[in-house]
Amino acid sequence: MKTTSAFIIWLCLVCATAAYAADTVPVAGEKDKCPVCGMFVAPYPGWTGVIVLKDLSALFFDGPKDLCTYYNNVGKYSPGRSRSDIAAVWVKDYYALTSIDGMKAFYVIGSDVLGPMGRELVPFMKESDAATFFKDHKGSKILRFGDITPQVMKSLE
Amino acid sequence: MSGLLARHRNIIDFALSSLLRRKAKNISLLAVYTLIVIIIASCMLFINALKQEAAAVLKDAPDMVVQKMVAGRHDLMPVSRGEVIGGITGVRGVTARLWGYYYDAVTRANYTLTVSDGGQPAPGSIYIGSAIARLTGFSQGDLMPLRTYKGESKLLQVVRVLPAEAEIVSADLIVLSEKDFRELFNFPAGFATDLAVSAGNPLELATIAAKIVHQFPDTRPIMKSEMLRTYDSIFDWRGGMIVVMFAVAVLAFIIFAWDKASGLSAEERREIGILKSIGWETADVLLLKFWEGAIISLTAFLCGATVAYCHVFFFSASLFEHALKGWAVLYPQFRLAPSINAYQLTILFFLTVVPYTAATIIPSWRSATVDPDSSMR
Repeated sequence: MKTTSAFIIWLCLVCATAAYAADTVPVAGEKDKCPVCGMFVAPYPGWTGVIVLKDLSALFFDGPKDLCTYYNNVGKYSPGRSRSDIAAVWVKDYYALTSIDGMKAFYVIGSDVLGPMGRELVPFMKESDAATFFKDHKGSKILRFGDITPQVMKSLE
Repeated sequence: MSGLLARHRNIIDFALSSLLRRKAKNISLLAVYTLIVIIIASCMLFINALKQEAAAVLKDAPDMVVQKMVAGRHDLMPVSRGEVIGGITGVRGVTARLWGYYYDAVTRANYTLTVSDGGQPAPGSIYIGSAIARLTGFSQGDLMPLRTYKGESKLLQVVRVLPAEAEIVSADLIVLSEKDFRELFNFPAGFATDLAVSAGNPLELATIAAKIVHQFPDTRPIMKSEMLRTYDSIFDWRGGMIVVMFAVAVLAFIIFAWDKASGLSAEERREIGILKSIGWETADVLLLKFWEGAIISLTAFLCGATVAYCHVFFFSASLFEHALKGWAVLYPQFRLAPSINAYQLTILFFLTVVPYTAATIIPSWRSATVDPDSSMR
């Protein structure tokens, strides 16, 4: 009886920790560098993207473009890892500057708004916001996370 | 090590007594030098303090202020427009602001009256700025009379005196309730002085401003960056007048140092000759002259910097009163918040102490290298 309740408590704790880890967005420190371009991330809080791995370590990117570059070729930047090691993807909503789930976000490309690395994938939580931005800033396409292929990335170089 | 220290101590000892021997000359030298340092240091501290005040003013400024214009003049803004502007994508919040100026004939000063969003006082009570409290003598619990638009006197109770830090922001401020504000000025309901708009992403401000102007062509959005520029130019203009004084003081210093550097008096040359003939080496003579220069310039620097600090921060830079005239009218009593910039003090040090000390060494080196016999003759 005692062992069962201890196990249940342990299980609850594990679940709570996992849920906590998935829900809180790690904040980039001053020394964190983008694994793709090597730039410091902290000076661009409005563009920071985060990938949380299953071992709960976090990778910070200075913009969604570098984040997607990493996502499309995980093995190149983190040898021995693959896409299946990724637990969560966070990007910043352009209008609100809050962290949103990168897998569910809408991305506008081809706009006149430039990020720290030049042409960017500008992320939005709501499709209507993406559409407004598309119109205001002369975007060329609205994409979902799954649509961002290496070909799309090439067009942003 | 101790031998080296003892050598320096002996030479400083000699330098001090040699300075005291020519008391009148050196004291007048010190006085002129100190005066120049006072002017230069006052300029530096004053400009720095102005910049700090500007930063304090703008720290809490909204991202954008939207004013309604009628015939090129600022007019009352209908509050209903705030809802429309709040609906623009990228706008985080819109606040209708109520504020204005009030001229007090008794103290002959302008006060800024404002209705604050957070922590509004209850109707019938007000918060006043520290300078107003100083000027009028009103303190917590007193009733302060303000003249309404009809010329009647309205009594409002002072419930709080705002703290004196960031003087320029709160010095002339009276915070009152919306009801009292509207009654005082007969300010129509449904209207505000202007709208403060905040954006989620500062990059979007220009787009938001364009949309506001498109929707309401009779409005003028003023961005924080524009306010920053305006403040900068105002402060720079005042700073500019100070820079002219600064330039004159620096020029005076250059002439002064040049005069010193251009040669030694016959008496000083003779002294060097005697020192060398009784066995002093050239290095010792140079060290002596270095210490003489360093003692004078360091004393002048420390005295000048201290006096300048008192002048700027305790006496409100009274020597620069003319540059401040505009403020004397606007603000009941202007006092800058004390601040010291280590970088500026270092610059001042290298601008005054180092060239002067160098200027005293070079002619001494020239006369110390010649034959003592010829320099004594």
